[in-house]
Order: sequence, then C-alpha cells, then structure tokens
Amino acid sequence: MADVQFRDVDKVYDNGVQAVFSLSLQIQDGEFLVLVGPSGCGKTTALRMVAGLEEITDGTISIGDRVVNDLTPKDRDIAMVFQNYALYPHLSVGDNIAFGLRLRKTPKKTVDERVQWAARLLGLTPYLDRRPKELSGGQRQRVAMGRAIVRQPQVFLMDEPLSNLDAKLRVQMRAEIGRIQRELKTTTIYVTHDQTEAMTMGDHVAVMRKGELQQMDTPQKLYSDPKNLFVASFIGSPSMNLVEAEIERRNGGLVAKLADQELAIPAEVASLRPALAGYAGRKVALGIRPEQLEDASIVRDGADGNRLRGRVLLTEALGSELLAHVELSGRPVVTDDVLEGAVELEDAMLDDLAQKAEEERTTFVGRFDAESEVRPDHIVDMLVDTGKLQFFDLETGTSIRAG
Amino acid sequence: MSTSERVAEVTVPAVAERRQPKRRRFAQNWWRHAVALIALVFALFPVAYVLSAAFNGDNSLSGSSLIPRHVTFDNFRTLFVGQKNTTGHATFQNAHYASWFANSMIVAGATALLTVLLGALAAYAFSRFRFRGRRLGMLTLLLIHMFPQLLAVLAIYLIVLNVGDIFHFIGLNTLSALVLVYLGGAMGVNTWLMKGFFDTIPSELDESARVDGATPAQVFWGVVLPLAAPVLAVIALISFVATLNEFVIASVVLETQHKFTLPVGLWQYIDQKYSEHWGPFAAGVLIAAVPAALLFAFLQRYIVQGLTQGAVKG
Ligand SMILES: Nc1ncnc2c1ncn2[C@@H]1O[C@H](COP(=O)(O)OP(=O)(O)OP(=O)(O)O)[C@@H](O)[C@H]1O
Ligand SMILES: [Mg+2]
Repeated sequence: MADVQFRDVDKVYDNGVQAVFSLSLQIQDGEFLVLVGPSGCGKTTALRMVAGLEEITDGTISIGDRVVNDLTPKDRDIAMVFQNYALYPHLSVGDNIAFGLRLRKTPKKTVDERVQWAARLLGLTPYLDRRPKELSGGQRQRVAMGRAIVRQPQVFLMDEPLSNLDAKLRVQMRAEIGRIQRELKTTTIYVTHDQTEAMTMGDHVAVMRKGELQQMDTPQKLYSDPKNLFVASFIGSPSMNLVEAEIERRNGGLVAKLADQELAIPAEVASLRPALAGYAGRKVALGIRPEQLEDASIVRDGADGNRLRGRVLLTEALGSELLAHVELSGRPVVTDDVLEGAVELEDAMLDDLAQKAEEERTTFVGRFDAESEVRPDHIVDMLVDTGKLQFFDLETGTSIRAG
Repeated sequence: MSTSERVAEVTVPAVAERRQPKRRRFAQNWWRHAVALIALVFALFPVAYVLSAAFNGDNSLSGSSLIPRHVTFDNFRTLFVGQKNTTGHATFQNAHYASWFANSMIVAGATALLTVLLGALAAYAFSRFRFRGRRLGMLTLLLIHMFPQLLAVLAIYLIVLNVGDIFHFIGLNTLSALVLVYLGGAMGVNTWLMKGFFDTIPSELDESARVDGATPAQVFWGVVLPLAAPVLAVIALISFVATLNEFVIASVVLETQHKFTLPVGLWQYIDQKYSEHWGPFAAGVLIAAVPAALLFAFLQRYIVQGLTQGAVKG
C-alpha cells in the first residue's frame, strides 16, 4: 500500500518528441485514479514511467516514500496490466499467474494458494491448465488481471485493459475491476481514452491533453465544474452544448444573448462567478449540458422559466429518454480546445460544425424526458436549467470564475 | 514478415486439408504428385549411388552397376579396422574413421550449440536494446557476411598459427580453433535471422516479465528463448549440417589424422594419392548422414508456427 506522486515530470523521447510536460499528480494510498485524454496525449507514457519501462527525463516519481526514478521495474513493487494483455503464450494460465511469484522465490505452497485465490476471485479456476490461445478475450483479460493481483503489489497500473473487449463485456469487466480494487484497496492508476470508463471507475480522474494535465478532480466535479473548454467538451456524453453568447447587464442582473434569444443568468450563478460581470458587453462561451434542456411542452409549471427555441433536426429515442438535436441561431464554439475535446464527433460532423459556425447556426443536444413528442422539423421550446450554466473565456478557454 | 519467419514457414509443410471425394481430388491434383515424384527422384538419385557404392565390393564407380553384384560390408570394415585386401594400391595402415567421426560430432555439435547461443544473445541485444552503435553493428555484421569465409582462409591460417603460439588450445591442429573459426563465420547471418524473429515477439512480453520481477537474463531464458524455439532449431540444424560438410577450412586448420573431421579424412580415400576408393568413401558418408538425420528428426517438432499465439490481442 502506498501513494504515488508525480512531481514536475517531463518526458522527452529520443526522437525529440515531448510526450509529457511538467506533470504533477498525487494519488492517495488505496485510491483509484483514472488518467484520461484523447489518443496520443501521453497517458501511456506517464504510466510507463511509473512502471519503470520508460526513463523519466525530468522531475521525480515516488511510490510510498521512495523516489523510484532510478529503480528497475522489478524493484518498484508494481504490477501492470497491458492493453494487449501480454500473456506468456508458452505457459499455462496457472503458470502465467504464478510467474511473478516464482521469480521471487516464493515457497511452492504459498504460490499454489495465491494462484488458487486469484483464480477464484476472477472465476478462472476451470482454465488454470489451458494455454492463453485457448481462451476468449475476456478470459485473457482476466488472466492478465490475475497476474497483477496475485503478487499483491503496492500499485496496480492498467493501460486500457478493456479496450479490446466488446461493449457488454467491457461494462461487466469495468464493474469487476472496480470490485477487486475496492476489495484489495490497492492504489491503482488506470489509463483510458474512454471518458465514460473514467467517470464510472475513478475516485479521481485526471484529464490530460497533449502531455499536459488539464484538471484532476472527482468525476462529479469534473462534470459540473470543468476548468476549461477542453475538459468541458471532453467529459460527458453527449458532450456539453457550447455556444458563443454576449454578456449584457440588465436590471442589475446579467443576461446571456445568443443571437436573437437570451437567457437570464440567475443571481446565484453570477455571484459564484464574480468575474463574469467584467465580461459585460463581450462574448463568452456559454456551456449547457444536455440534461439542462427539457421539452417545455411536457413541463407543467415551467411557464416563466428561461427558454430557447429551435428547430428539431433529429431525435434519438433511447427508451428512458429522448435525445433531440435542435438547431438554433447562434455561433457554435469551434476553438481547438473544443474540437479536440469532442472526440466523439466524427470528421464529417466536425466539418459540418465549421460550416454551421459560418452560418451562425448551432445544434444543441437536449436530453428530454421520453414523454416528449417532438419530431424532426418541429419547432420546440426548450426550458433551460440556468442554475448550472457554464461560462468560459473565448480567448483562453478557461472557466470564468473569480477575478 | 521477417526473414526468419519465412524460414520457419518453408520448413513446415502445409497440411492441405480439403474435403473432397478421393477420385476427383486426384484428378485435379495429379500434377502435384508428379512434381513431388520428380523432386523425390532428383533428390534420391545421388543417395542411391552412395548406397550402391557403399555396399558394392568392386571399389570403383565406373565399372559397377547401380544394383551391387554382391552385397558386402567390407567397405565399412575398412573404415574401422583398415583394408583387408591390398590390390596393388596403397593401404591405410590405421583406420581413423572412428576418431574422424567423433571429431566431426564434437565440432559440429559445439558449433551448432554455440552458434545458437551466441547468435541469440547478440540478436536479443540488437532486437531489444537501443544503444550507441546498434545500427552500425548490424550493418557491419551484414557487410562481413557478404564476403565468403573462403576468402579469409589465408588470414585464418595465419591467425590460428600465431594465436597458437600463445594459447595452445586454440592453435593449429586443434578442434577448438576450428570451432572458433566456424563461429565467427556464421555469426552475421544467424544474428540477422534471429533478430528478425525476435522482432516478431511482442516487446510487451519482455516488459510484462520485467514488471513481474524478471532480470534481463531471466527474460531472455524464460520468455524470449522458449518462444524463439523454431528459429533456434532451424539455425542449429543448418549450422550443424554446414559444419559437418565443411572441407576447406578444416583441411587448413587440422593437420594430423587424429584431428581430422569426416570431410578431410574421407577425402583421402578418393584423393589421387591413394587412388579412388569410392567404396569406403561412400560407406563413411552414409554413416555420417545418420546423426544429421537424427538431429533433424529431433528438432522437427520445435519447428512449428504460431508459438506466440495468444500472447497479445490484435
Ligand atoms: N517510443 C516512443 N518514441 C517516440 N515517441 C513516442 C514513443 N511512444 C510514444 N511517443 C509519442 O508520445 C506521445 C504520447 O504517446 P502515448 O503513447 O503516451 O499516448 P497515449 O495517451 O497513450 O495514446 P493512446 O490513447 O493512443 O494510447 C505521442 O505523440 C507519441 O507519438
Ligand atoms: Mg496508450
């Protein structure tokens, strides 16, 4: 059991590529930290530096109270689950799991006990004599897990261990890994590019972009209070609706004007973000989560709420809810931050977005109640929960808060 | 795909399994059988001659028919106990076949073993470590290999001669010197072959083992070598057979009957000096083929595909 600390860690590869910039992170003892970010942002690099598979160019990494910069992987007392499992193909499942213990000259009896224990925990007991190639993907994944947990290391490192599994198995294994980690209380660093995985699994989530840490927080905080446009658009699915809006003073309060419509900003929101008043007369990026939008026609006492009106482009009925894509006038935010964060959008959609920005049209996604009867081409009034509006500086991309 | 993988593939006969009625299958495939038959005849023709000569009493090639008129083991006896009847030709006072055979086994065995070991060590380093001079080292190995070892015979002779003044155990007329020369000669191509094969073993396996607590040596012996078995077997075999056949360098380095290897020793039977004793020569060759065949039979089961299957996904 130990905590892990990154202090100003840099990584420059031999070819001159800098993959990690001055990364500082603290992972508490027993905590489950998820490192998340788009492809190529340096997650694997960061993890491999903890494992000792990659040299640390600058800064220090410590495990417990030991600085491990110069220790070999063997001496760091960590276990790693690789993205492609990396099972030893010439050894049986049992021998794969026992490999690390045998290297440490553990007495045979203890090895057997521990292998049995791990196999039971992971439901691998019937497969102990098989070779890896005789297993399914999910079983291989569990063998890889077994190899990690059997040694009871101080830290688990996992590099996208679920990315090769199908959607259903992924959800199942996600829960499984969470359960095992809680049971063993081993400090864990888990790398993924899937923000849903990050949000559901992590005690804390660290969002990275281009080698730099953007924000590290609990999943709830990341969601409700993203520090910048990148985090805002990266976290959440469907992602946050972002539109340019002009802040204006009106009757002692503030309103956000989107083209021909406007939203009154509640006093609580304004007081939580004192700096917002300073933006009066200027444009900001306004962020609205899909669940802050509701079809006004199915809300009984929403007569005097804030509303936005638009034309429905398409709807996705998910059974429990209805996702409505609603087009309204206003300029979507298309800075690099947003485009990079919106990893779920395909290239064609990104082009479309740019096109629409030119035409001052934006598409909001609303997460309506399943009762809603909006259909494509309807004009819909959306009730906006303005208490959770987010504001970002258009230049710097950072959230607008105090001074 | 790497060169070495191709080696492994070529060596493994593909099992063509197609469920078809027997007759139609033959109608479509007869030409394959024909090709195989021709290849077989072509390959077995010399073997037939050697067999015939070995068991023939007539002791010359030209006058004899393929089927020996009278089958005899005299030629074999000649090899081990000397010649029985001296018909005007020079005779061997002592039969040295047993020591030639032993020498050949020692030299070929040691060369094969050490070639595989040293080649694997070098290849592992070239495949897995990034160090200064890595590229240069690889290119140099390749370059050296471009020159046939035969070119260096004179140099080898002088080196061995002079080194022998200081270190007697690797001087002229020692088996160890011969082994050393062979090792140097085959290093380059074998290292390349093995490196190619090692490159196909996912490096995550090494890393995983290192995280599991293995030292580089343990990774090498415990993970990489077992997975490289096919290429190791192929190289061991090639190197064994090549060493067994090698004549020129052996004849330069070795000087006395007791130290000769089979090619050098047997050559004397057909050398002009002793006129042509094809019978004992053929018999000697026949016995020499046995260990190579046995080694092949033994190593064959390591020459299989798909050893790394299941290691990584995708
Ligand atoms: N061995 C290497 N040599 C040079 N550059 C590398 C090396 N490994 C990674 N990089 C570069 O470092 C950057 C970060 O790579 P890294 O593998 O850490 O990304 P990642 O966040 O794990 O991405 P993914 O989600 O695709 O796995 C990338 O720009 C990559 O090209
Ligand atoms: Mg990665």
